[in-house]
Amino acid sequence: MKLAGLKSVDNAHDDSVWTATWVPATDERPALLLTGSLDETVRVWSPDELTNVATNTGHCLGVVSVAAHPSGVIAASASLDSFVRVFDVDHNNTIATLEAPPSEVWHMQFDPKGTTLAVAGGGSASVKLWDTAEWKLIASLSIPRPEGSKSSDKSGNKKFVLSVAWSPDGKRLACGSMDGTISVFDVSRAKFLHHLEGHFMPVRSLVYSPVDPKILFSASDDAHVHVYDAEGKSLINALSGHSSWVLSVDASPDGAAIATGSSDKSVKLWDLKMRTAVQTLSSHTDQVWAVAFRPPGGTGVRAGRLASVSDDKSISLYDYS
Amino acid sequence: MASVYIPVQNSEEEVRVVLDQLPRDASDILDILKAEQAPLDLWLIIAREYFKQGKIEQFRQILEEGSSPEIDEYYADVRYERIAILNALGAYYSYLGKIETKHREKEEHFIMATQYYNKASRIDMHEPSTWVGKGQLLLAKGDLEQAFAAFKIVLDGDRDNIPALLGQACVQFSRARYSDSLELYKRALQVYPQCPGAVRLGIGLCRYKLGQYDKAKQAFQRVLQLDPENVEALVALGILDLHTNEAAGIRGGMEKMQRAFEIYPYCAMALNYLANHFFFTGQHFLVEQLTETALAVSNHGPTKAHSYYNLARSYQSKGDYEKAGLYYMASVKESNKPQEFVLPYYGLGQVQLKLGDFKSSLSNFEKVLEVYPENCETMKAIGYIYVQLGQTEKAQEFLKKATKIDPRDAQAFLDLGELLISTDSGAALEAFKTARGLLEKGREEVPTELLNNIGVLHFERGEFELAERTFVEALGDGIWHTLIDGKAQPYPIDASASIHQYKDMQLFHRLEEEGFAVEVPWNKISILFNLARLFEQSHNIETASILYRLILFKYPDYIDAYLRLAAIAKDRNNIQISIELIADALKVDDKCPNALLMLGDLELKNDDWVKAKDTFKAAKDSSDRKDSYATLCLGNWNYFAAVRSEKRAPKLEATHLEKAKELYTKVLFDHNANLYAANGAGVVLAEKGHFDVSKDLFTQVQEAASGSVFVQMPDVWINLAHVYFAQGNFPLAVKMYQNCLRKFYYSTDSQVLLYLARTHYEAEQWQDCKKTLLRAIHLAPSNYTLKFDAGVAMQKFSASTLQKQKRTVDEVRSTVAELKNAVRVFSQLSAASNLQFHGFDEKKIDTHVNYCKHLLEAAKVHCEAAEREEQQNKQRLELARQVTLAEEARRKAEEQRKFQMERRKQEDELKQVRQQEEHLERIKEQWKSSTPASKRKDRSQYEDEEGGHSEKRRKKGGKRRKRDKGSKSRYETDEAEADIVDDQEEMEDEDANINYREPSNQMNNQEDEGEENAQDLLAAAGLEDSDAEDDMATPSNPIRRRGAWSESDDDEPQQRQPQLSPNGDNSTEMQVSDGEVGGDDDKLNGDAAAADEDDD
Repeated sequence: MKLAGLKSVDNAHDDSVWTATWVPATDERPALLLTGSLDETVRVWSPDELTNVATNTGHCLGVVSVAAHPSGVIAASASLDSFVRVFDVDHNNTIATLEAPPSEVWHMQFDPKGTTLAVAGGGSASVKLWDTAEWKLIASLSIPRPEGSKSSDKSGNKKFVLSVAWSPDGKRLACGSMDGTISVFDVSRAKFLHHLEGHFMPVRSLVYSPVDPKILFSASDDAHVHVYDAEGKSLINALSGHSSWVLSVDASPDGAAIATGSSDKSVKLWDLKMRTAVQTLSSHTDQVWAVAFRPPGGTGVRAGRLASVSDDKSISLYDYS
Repeated sequence: MASVYIPVQNSEEEVRVVLDQLPRDASDILDILKAEQAPLDLWLIIAREYFKQGKIEQFRQILEEGSSPEIDEYYADVRYERIAILNALGAYYSYLGKIETKHREKEEHFIMATQYYNKASRIDMHEPSTWVGKGQLLLAKGDLEQAFAAFKIVLDGDRDNIPALLGQACVQFSRARYSDSLELYKRALQVYPQCPGAVRLGIGLCRYKLGQYDKAKQAFQRVLQLDPENVEALVALGILDLHTNEAAGIRGGMEKMQRAFEIYPYCAMALNYLANHFFFTGQHFLVEQLTETALAVSNHGPTKAHSYYNLARSYQSKGDYEKAGLYYMASVKESNKPQEFVLPYYGLGQVQLKLGDFKSSLSNFEKVLEVYPENCETMKAIGYIYVQLGQTEKAQEFLKKATKIDPRDAQAFLDLGELLISTDSGAALEAFKTARGLLEKGREEVPTELLNNIGVLHFERGEFELAERTFVEALGDGIWHTLIDGKAQPYPIDASASIHQYKDMQLFHRLEEEGFAVEVPWNKISILFNLARLFEQSHNIETASILYRLILFKYPDYIDAYLRLAAIAKDRNNIQISIELIADALKVDDKCPNALLMLGDLELKNDDWVKAKDTFKAAKDSSDRKDSYATLCLGNWNYFAAVRSEKRAPKLEATHLEKAKELYTKVLFDHNANLYAANGAGVVLAEKGHFDVSKDLFTQVQEAASGSVFVQMPDVWINLAHVYFAQGNFPLAVKMYQNCLRKFYYSTDSQVLLYLARTHYEAEQWQDCKKTLLRAIHLAPSNYTLKFDAGVAMQKFSASTLQKQKRTVDEVRSTVAELKNAVRVFSQLSAASNLQFHGFDEKKIDTHVNYCKHLLEAAKVHCEAAEREEQQNKQRLELARQVTLAEEARRKAEEQRKFQMERRKQEDELKQVRQQEEHLERIKEQWKSSTPASKRKDRSQYEDEEGGHSEKRRKKGGKRRKRDKGSKSRYETDEAEADIVDDQEEMEDEDANINYREPSNQMNNQEDEGEENAQDLLAAAGLEDSDAEDDMATPSNPIRRRGAWSESDDDEPQQRQPQLSPNGDNSTEMQVSDGEVGGDDDKLNGDAAAADEDDD
């Protein structure tokens, strides 16, 4: 289990790179890397040379999140102005522009089947679900107010939703909020199930284990990564090692490792069996906003890849083996 | 059978007296002697016989009778015998005086002796034996000079007088003139070879003193041959044996001592040596008995000193320091000179050290050092005393000397290390490492305290791996191994219970159930704690928390562990559990200032102002008002209270500020190097507007803080930046904020970003301002104020662009885009305010929205105009392009033409050349045929030919190059550009004249209108620029006055006004101070251990 640096692109964007995701391979082309930046562009990169295939403009204010449809054909990008732009990856045609005021847009993710796009709704304390066939808002999963709190106080602020994650079977949706709580929903019934507690600082990134639909990883500003049993409502493990906020977490396709990016400028690889960081990479010179493992699939591509993007405007690509 | 015959007077008969059958009553004999008027020598013989038989009383009776005045009268002419009797008496009393221990009796005996000798002298001034006796008496009295004179008188008369020779030898011996003494003894032996052993004893002693041990030994052995029961010789031989320092020698020596003791139990020397022996065998009872006897029988200073020393030593080893001290003192008094017998000074030093009398102890040790200037033990002791006296520099000096003299003394290095810890951690580490190496080399067990100290030092120097290795080694085996390596399987805890994870002890119960022994020996706690601190420092928080909990599991009174857990919880923003943990700590000790301070800090974080103040006050009281951190906290509290946003009361504000200043000053007064207090004072000064002073203060603090790796003071950077900002030095302020952000916050602090944005705003760097705000929003998404600010920044940017006299189309377009964004941001906020996400006044947002929309409309006109202009520009450009294209085509044709011409020319040239060549060939042919050519000529001809060719070739190349240049530069660049420029100018002139002027006028008008409208709108909301500025001039905060943050500044002064943050991040501060507490603890442990060892 190790990461080996393959390629780094300095000044990949004109400003801080805030988000990244892999677009799955299609029959015609291999998987592509999608990045979004404060420079208001979304860029498409081809592996492993990291050549800039396309630069999509059209966003105002910084791009905070990108998400790719499991088919690899379409993708969505969202910016601070709370617009979501759905586009055709290969041709950059706008398919839809989504907004659900006054809800903001933070982290987004397509469900594993590709029928729904989940969008973290920020101060609305809810997750918006969009149908991907007609691009209509189909549901709004709201986090219930904690009991005893008056609706008049501004505690709504505290349930500010930052991050979302679909379970690999598509049945569950978890979202993380500013106050550190994670809420788990039953998607089919559009019902709130329970909170997962343990963090008391913003949870900026969530990901389910690709091999075990119960296991959920959460990255928080408290410098910890928690491993939860999202069904059993229990904290299995707390991983410490970063010296500042953990901004992003992603699980490797084989489910044996997770990678994290942090404000301490490092990328760490964690062995889940040993429950320790087995590797710390410090190729970035500023906070690492996103890490992403390439999904398996595509013709003749078996090697594992991890990409990380940073405030230092650069993208790094690693070989995961 | 020896017998004497007393002649019967007036007859030939004699009375036969058998000497060993002398009557018990001397009177019988006396009667006979008197009656028969026996010669005086008989009297002496009989008296001597009594003396030999130990019948002292009879001896004295006879001699006293024999020296009575009647006898003097009767035997007036018998001078020698009379003198002999007197001398015998004198010698007797001399002896009595010599052995008498009581001062008065001693004196009396000596007086008696003197009287008898004087009487003898009166009979005959020149009798040598009298002088010998007198010499002996003087010797016994210790009057060496007079004794010397007395013996000299005798020897001047008879240089072979043996008693005088011996006496003189004795005098010389006592004067420490051993070789002179030896000569005299030798002469005595030569004169009288059969002399008793005592002479040889003298020789032996002289040789001993002269260091001729073998010869001395021979002499003593000869004495023993002559007199096997000679105690002195035995003792002397014993001492010689003991000094061989070999096991066999020592055993032999002790045997001799023992024999001497059996022969004569009152020989002080033998007693001392025996006592010494029994001291080492640990039979203290015997030691005391022997030394007490020795003291009773001896009068000799050094011997007594030795006895007292033995006694003192015995008491010291039994732990009776008071008595030991007294006896050491007695010993010191007896010997008086440290040069002669230094051991009691050392002992006294030790005892006084133990009793805490450092000054006296120090002086005693210094005396020892005078005698043995290189004695390590003494130096270490002195070093230790200086430590106790607080003179660390002197202590270091001595310990360093000690380690230099004996570089294998682990203990000395250990002590040195302890000393250096506070002053020079690097040197301390070196010392500790050396000590450790020495101990390991000596196969001794390395004390855990030492390893702990090494670990802590590595830790402090930031060498975490080394520190960890050392701590783990110090810990040895134990349950912690399982915990550190994470071998213990984690078990899921209910997520809602996970809030309490830092109080959870389940883990250990489970381990116990699984059969692990969860034990923590008491001497491992500190190391465990330090290791946990180390893990914490290297961000291995979870392991650290497990170790802290392990300590608490076994030792629930360990406050520091509670505090560290609380600090961890606090860092993770788990305030509730943090408070609970501190409550636990306070249960153990409700006066613990550290716990109280942390609690206060947490209460402040919970916005519980009144409680926090009380807690801080309690902390201050519990630390006897000496804890400057508590005072600092109170100072901060007052400062925060002064600048609290809500309900500003100028009066209260002033009092709070004044109080804060007073508290900071107090801390500074006590600790003039306290950075935090200096920072606080600077803040207060800045609040009052004394920017120059505060800037100086901040700069100094910043310099001091950046000198140390351990001090993390981002606040002073921020404060300095604030001051630069307030003074209008925006570029420096920006730099300062940015550095601070990178250096201390991992660029994650949105508040500092806000300060930065504000500086950009003031410097009218709108785009930078906007970008900075966007970054801040990204970091703190739920902070809607940031969004509002971003909106304002965009609005301001647009307004300022539109107000510009000259602007490009792109500028206008980006303005429009920016305005749209601003409108969107404001409308979003407006919508969100319906949901009560934030506390903005809806009306105000609406005002902004309207204003922006208005601007947008105005801008649209601009935009249209601009677009039209652009359209025209495009057309113009298109035209230009076509013209250029035409030109290009023309040029190309021209070029083609030229090229053709060139080629033709070239071909012509070539043709010419070829013709010339042909011509040449022809001529050559002609030459060949006409004249047969020699070889030489032939070659030259070839050379010519070649030369010609190459020249031609070069020419050709040159031409080609020239042509290339021409075609490229002339046609493509120069001309083309020139053409385009010309065309454009023409076009513009035309356009400008015809179309452009009018709309631009129009637009200006419109813009004016727009502005008026906007002004109206703002006025309606009470937000007009000028008013706002005035408003802002009133508050006392100078920074705020300066900061004209657009029209909407008093919407949220809290966020806007960069709050000077004195020691703001208390958590880090606390951490540091906690760390110190932990560290101190360990060092204390180490010290205690070291102290124990010292005392042994």
